[in-house]
Amino acid sequence: MKKVYFIIIAVFAFIYVIYEVRQRKFSIKESFWWFIASVVMLFLAIFPYSIDWIAKKFNVSYGPSLLFVFCIIFLIFINFRNSKKIAEQQEKIIELSQQVAILKEKNRR
Amino acid sequence: MKKKDKVLFVIPAYNEAENIEKVIKELKKDAAFADILVINDCSKDNTEEIVRKNNVNCINNIFNMRYAMAVQTGIKYAYENDYDYIIQFDADGQHIAKEAIKLLDTIKKTDSDIVIGSRYLKDMGYPCPFMRRFGTKIFEIIIKLICHQRIADSLSGFQCLNKDVIEYYSKMGNYPEYPDANLVIEMLRAGYKITEVPVKMRLRENGESMHGGIIKPAQYMINMFYTIFFIIIQTPIKKVGSKK
Repeated sequence: MKKVYFIIIAVFAFIYVIYEVRQRKFSIKESFWWFIASVVMLFLAIFPYSIDWIAKKFNVSYGPSLLFVFCIIFLIFINFRNSKKIAEQQEKIIELSQQVAILKEKNRR
Repeated sequence: MKKKDKVLFVIPAYNEAENIEKVIKELKKDAAFADILVINDCSKDNTEEIVRKNNVNCINNIFNMRYAMAVQTGIKYAYENDYDYIIQFDADGQHIAKEAIKLLDTIKKTDSDIVIGSRYLKDMGYPCPFMRRFGTKIFEIIIKLICHQRIADSLSGFQCLNKDVIEYYSKMGNYPEYPDANLVIEMLRAGYKITEVPVKMRLRENGESMHGGIIKPAQYMINMFYTIFFIIIQTPIKKVGSKK
């Protein structure tokens, strides 16, 4: 029964990502990693014991702990990527504001 | 009397100081009927200086926005200035000015919305690397499967667009980073008519291609497949010519 709940949650996540992109609220490019995450979720919900098999390959005795490690790495990666993008965009906004200010002054003269 | 069509060459350029002068001179000699616009994508060399020296309009992007966004800047300029046709032209000397006339003639004769200058429709003696040819072939098959039309060279940046497409692209949010097979599929599904015409092209003389190396082409292929998947979901199919 638990498996069914997980499959429902994973299917919901998968459909939600596709729905948001389809509605053009989420860009295709930015959706990529969330789409991959939703596919992995779906896979693990359907084949829950696959994580134990992967854990064995990594010499980890308790499967779910490996899952947590992967999740944390994924979230750190997304967070780092977002921080990098925010920094880049901040720089661009400053540059644009300065250019607009200079143009405004030029137009006033 | 029918008014003369306004045609614009849109040339995105990034660090093309070595090639751009030759390209401008060739266009002025062989395609003098059209205006020229260079979009200098924040080059680190003296591309802008050379363009201005040749009395050609030049838009300077404040940041390096990469090829596709530079092209879209030119398309927006064409829309604002009411151009009838634009011809996308590379700054690296690959495209031949005389061949642009072929594109323009075809778009008028066939009443197409987009005409693509193709290297592979007929053997035009273009020495293409195997992997690039192989990639183009894969996209040819995908387009054929999805849109039931053969587009042999969806990677070609040598394209002529009519007014409807200029408007569509200039108002398009999220203009793709690589406007290749994905955009061809989107436009065909949206009911626009695309025609291909065989053209000659040269190999680039100086500088680096944007699809060089091993990682970039792999990233490109993944990006393309993923984008095409979502375009199929996003764009409902319309009959060719029913875009309006």
